[in-house]
Amino acid sequence: MLGKALTALVTVLIGIGGALAVYYLLNKIAELMPERWEARIKPYLYILPAFLAITLYLIYPAVLTVINSFKDRFSREWVGTENYTELLSSPAFRDTLFNTLLWILIVPAVTVVLGLVVATLADRLQPTGEKLAKTIIFLPMAISMVGAATIWRFVYYAAPAGQEQIGLQNALLGVFGKDPVAWLQQSQFHLNSLLLMVVLLWSQIGFSMVLLSAAVKGVPVDTLEAARIDGASERQIFFRVVVPQIKGTIITVFITVTIGVMKIFDIVYVMTNGNFNTNVLGNEFFNQFATNFNSGAAAAIVVMLMVAVVPIMWYQVRHFKAEEANA
Amino acid sequence: MRIPVKKSTSLLGVAALAASLSLTACGGDSGGSDNGNTVTIWSSIDQPVQDGLLKALEAKVGSDIKIDWKKVENINQLIMTKIQAGDTPDIAFIPQPGVVKDMVSLDAIKPLDDVVPQADQDSMIPGTLDAGTVDGKLYGLLVSANVKGLIFYPKKAWEAKGWPTEVASIDELNQLTETIKADGETPWCMGIESDTATGWPATDWFETLVAKYGGVDEYNSWVAGDTKFDSDIVKQAAAEFEQLMFTDGNVLGGREAIASTNFGTAGNPMFDAKPGCWMYNQGSFITGFFPDEIKSDLDANVGVMGFPPATAGGDNPVIGGGDMATLLNDSDNAKKVMAALAATDIGNDAAGSSSFISPHSDFDPANYADETSRSYAKVASESTGFLFDGSDQMPGEVGAGTFWKDMTAWISGQEDLDTALKNIDASWPS
Repeated sequence: MLGKALTALVTVLIGIGGALAVYYLLNKIAELMPERWEARIKPYLYILPAFLAITLYLIYPAVLTVINSFKDRFSREWVGTENYTELLSSPAFRDTLFNTLLWILIVPAVTVVLGLVVATLADRLQPTGEKLAKTIIFLPMAISMVGAATIWRFVYYAAPAGQEQIGLQNALLGVFGKDPVAWLQQSQFHLNSLLLMVVLLWSQIGFSMVLLSAAVKGVPVDTLEAARIDGASERQIFFRVVVPQIKGTIITVFITVTIGVMKIFDIVYVMTNGNFNTNVLGNEFFNQFATNFNSGAAAAIVVMLMVAVVPIMWYQVRHFKAEEANA
Repeated sequence: MRIPVKKSTSLLGVAALAASLSLTACGGDSGGSDNGNTVTIWSSIDQPVQDGLLKALEAKVGSDIKIDWKKVENINQLIMTKIQAGDTPDIAFIPQPGVVKDMVSLDAIKPLDDVVPQADQDSMIPGTLDAGTVDGKLYGLLVSANVKGLIFYPKKAWEAKGWPTEVASIDELNQLTETIKADGETPWCMGIESDTATGWPATDWFETLVAKYGGVDEYNSWVAGDTKFDSDIVKQAAAEFEQLMFTDGNVLGGREAIASTNFGTAGNPMFDAKPGCWMYNQGSFITGFFPDEIKSDLDANVGVMGFPPATAGGDNPVIGGGDMATLLNDSDNAKKVMAALAATDIGNDAAGSSSFISPHSDFDPANYADETSRSYAKVASESTGFLFDGSDQMPGEVGAGTFWKDMTAWISGQEDLDTALKNIDASWPS
C-alpha cells in the first residue's frame, strides 16, 4: 500500500516537474526569438503539447479506426469494403439502423419539449414549489445510465403468471386481476424500444429543463409586458416572444441530446442487449467488438456513426459561431 | 480568445498541471508478473471451485513455485484484449473453445502435447480433449467440467406423485410430460433470460437434442458449420423443443414467460409447497442457484435424471462444458503447474467442496460431496461420448451472438423458426 502511494507520489512529481520543464523550455525557445516574433510564436508553442495530445489520443485512433474498418477481424488483411457490405446486407443490422433512427427522431424532440414544458410551468410556481419540482425532475440525472437501466428493468419485470410479481407495472396489472405482460418483448409498433427510450427521457429531461429554465428566466420582462399591452394571449406570448428568444438554448440542448442518443449503449445493453428487436448501433458495436472479436465490423460501425455525427457537429459549430457573432 | 502575453507565467502553471495530469493517468500499474518463481493464473471459475483447485495445486507443486491465481470477470473477453495489449498471465482458464482457437491464431498459446503427461491425457473421458484441440495439437486442457442435459425434479413431491425417476427414450419423456399434465400440473420449468447472455439455455437444449438425435458425428459436423442450421436434424430438434415447450400448459407462464424468466430462478417454483412446475433441464451448476434450504440438503430435496437418448438403449452422448487451461508462457515453472493441473487427483479437494466435476474417467467418485454430484459424474462417464457445448465452440458471431439472439427471437415470437435458422446460417463468418 505504502509502496503504491509512494509510486503515485513520485509519478505525480515527475509528471508535474516534466511538464513544467517542457513549458519552461518552450518559453525559453520563444524568448530566443526577436521580440516581435516572440509574441507571435509563443501561443503556438504553448498550444503545441495540447495539440500533440489531441493528435495522439483522438486523431490517431480515429484514423486507425477508419483503416481497420477495411481490414479483417484481427485487423491484419485488407478486405476492401466487405465489412460494410456484410453489415448493410444483414436484415438484423438494418433493423438496428432503423431502431437507432427511431431513437434519434423521438428522444431529442421529446426531451426538448418536455424540458421546456416543465421549465415554463415551474417558472409559474411559488419559489418553494418550483425548487421542489425541479429537484425531483433533476434527481435522475445523478444516477448512472447502468443504474437507471437496472432500476427500470424492475419496473418492467415480468414473472410467470401465478408467481409473485415484483415488477412495478405487472404488480399494478395484478391489482386489476390482469395477467402479467413481458413488457420488453412487446415489439409490435416498437413498443419495447419506446419503453427503453422512457428510461433515457427520465434521466435526461432534468438536463434539458435546467438549461431551458435558465433561458426562460433570461427572457427580458419588458418584451413580455410589451406583448401583454398589445393584447397578446399567453399562448401567443409563449410561441412568439419566449420561444424565439431562447431558440439558441433549444438548439444546443437538441444537438447535445441527439449526439448522446446516437451513441446510446448502456440502457439497451443492460435491459435487453438488443434482443426482441431493440438493438441500436452502440450496442451492436460493442457486441461485434467484445463478443464476436470482429474489429473490422466494429470499426465499420464506428465509421458509420462518425459519418452520421459530422453534419450535426458541423451545424453545431456553425450555430455556435453565429451565436458568438451576435453576442 | 485573445490572451495578453504578459500573463503567461500563471498560465504556465495551469498548463503544466493539466499536462502532468494526463501524464500520470498513463502511469497505472500493469498486471502479469514475470518475477522469478511466481506463476500467474487467470480464470472466471466459481470461487469455491477455484479455492479447491488452488489448495490441491499448491500441495502438488510445493513451496518452490508461488501461485498467483486471480479471479477475473469474463475471461473470454478479457484475455483477447490483454493478448493484444501484451499483458497476459502464464496460464488462463478459457471456457470457450472458440476463444482457444482465436488465441491459437494469434500465436498466443503453446501446445500441451508434450507438457501434459500421456497417462493423464489417456485418462480423460472420451471426447473431452477434442474441444481444446486445434489442427491436431492440444492447446486447451479441460480441468473442471460441468454436465448439461440433466433433468432436475423436486424429489419429495415427485416421489409422492409416484412418477417414474428414469426415462429410457425421448418418447418416454414426452409421455411423462403428458402424464404430469393429465394430473393437472405444469410439467416444465423454463427460463432463458440471463442478462446480456439471454438465450444460451435454449442453445443448450438444442445441443442436447441434436446430439441425442444425430449422434456424435452429426453433432460435430453441425458445430463445425458443415451441417447447416437450416437442416433436417436441427429442425427435428426444434420440433421436439416446440412440442415440449410451446404446447399450451407445458411450461410455467407459457411460451411468453420463457424469455423473461431468469435461468437461475426458473427452477425455484419446483420447490414451492405446491410445485409450480416439476422438471427443469439444465447443467450441473444450476443447483448453486436453488434456494438455500434446498441446497443445504441436495440429496434429500433434488432428484436428477439424464436427458434420455432418442431411442431406448441407443447412442447416448452427453453435452458438457468446463474450463480449459491454456498455456501462454512456456517457462519451466508454468509447464510444471500445467502438468499438475492435468493430474486426475487435482480435483480431490474441489470435488468435496464445490460444483467441480472431474473430466478424468479414473477419478474416485467417493471424493464428491454428495449423491447428486455423483449422479452427474455418472451421467458423464456412462455416456457414449462427451461433447463440448456447441455454442461455445462455434464462432463468437454464432455461438454467443445469433444462436442466442435468434433462438430468443423465435421463442418470444418475433421470428418464425425458418427465419431464425436462416439468420443463424447467414451470420456464420466465411
